[in-house]
Amino acid sequence: MILKQMVDKLEAIPVYVPENWEEIQVGSVFASDLISDILVSEGEEQLLLTSLTTPQVVRTAAIVGAAAVIIVHRKQIPPGLAGSARIEEIPLFYSSTSKYDACVRLGKMEDAP
Amino acid sequence: MLDSSALRVQVLAYGLKIRDVMTTKIFAVSRNCTMGDVQTIMKNNGISGVPVVDERRVVGIISMHDILIALENSRLQELVTKHMTTDVKTLSEELPLSFAISAFSNHPFRRFPVVNQANELVGIITPRNINLALIRELSRQLDEIEEELAPSAVPKANSVFHRAYRLTRYDFEHAGMASAELKRELKKRGVPPKIIRRAAIVSYELEINIVAHSHGGTLTLFIDDHRMRITAIDFGPGIPDLDAAMREGFSTANEWIRSQGFGAGMGLPNAKRVSDEFEIQSGVEMGTMVKAIVFLNRNR
Repeated sequence: MILKQMVDKLEAIPVYVPENWEEIQVGSVFASDLISDILVSEGEEQLLLTSLTTPQVVRTAAIVGAAAVIIVHRKQIPPGLAGSARIEEIPLFYSSTSKYDACVRLGKMEDAP
Repeated sequence: MLDSSALRVQVLAYGLKIRDVMTTKIFAVSRNCTMGDVQTIMKNNGISGVPVVDERRVVGIISMHDILIALENSRLQELVTKHMTTDVKTLSEELPLSFAISAFSNHPFRRFPVVNQANELVGIITPRNINLALIRELSRQLDEIEEELAPSAVPKANSVFHRAYRLTRYDFEHAGMASAELKRELKKRGVPPKIIRRAAIVSYELEINIVAHSHGGTLTLFIDDHRMRITAIDFGPGIPDLDAAMREGFSTANEWIRSQGFGAGMGLPNAKRVSDEFEIQSGVEMGTMVKAIVFLNRNR
């Protein structure tokens, strides 16, 4: 799937995006609020959905080579996160959609013919 | 990042074991010796502490202070068992030297009897032994560096990356910096992404472990053409039950650590899972040391 389409589906707002981010491919989606879970996940080019807003979220995403992070269930996020995302070069967005709803919407996208 | 001299000493302390540093020339006495016997041994050999053993097991220790008290009270003819300290702290010969350094910081003692796996006395370690061993090792490594710097006709491969990072308790703001640098370095060297991911996960899990569960410590990264080696060492409190700590789901994390997204009890098992080699040692009140290796040209 294309990251841009997923971002649109969740009405997510960009916090930090590199050039040509619209072309980024996503291999799988992983939703969790436990960093330990993210670190044991096996997927590649993952889109990470989480409601955590600590700098460790971005750092962890970089460690596992995630394609992007969307912080869900948030109408705003701490200002320092944009800097962390820039340093780690991880595309970062936020969306007010709940984690469950975000998973359902993305799941339907995958099922669509 | 630590300065290079501090780094060098840290690395030495990780690399050496207590066995490599202790003196094996032991002056010990049995239960039926007198304080006078111990006084003679101390005087003739210039030492200030003598363990009391029973079939090679340490049952007590007599210090210079004990001798002085016995001398003052004219009790030098009495058996050592009446005067010895029986609560003796011993160190295992298998432990890293850094644990002995922590033990000297945490206790007022000037020497520790060293025991083997059968709990038998095999040596004594003092701060002097440690200083001499560190100087000897530094000098040996200096020779090696000079040899390495000497002009050579053989073209060199990638240089060695060697860094140490100090980690502070509960400093989640900076935890992960070492792993980020590791990742950049491996990428620069053209290591395959899957291997970079494994190496970064080991490093990150160990960094977080020190920050979340210890009083603080250091993480040392070593990278050459073949492997990435991490040594993570902390200053305590140590892990009382290593088997439990290596089981998935076992965690001693508090609520605050959990609120940061950590503390699911996956750290150490996950670090072991993604490593090619993994070794852990821990001593209560002394600290924990983990050594992990990821081979850079070996896919799973």
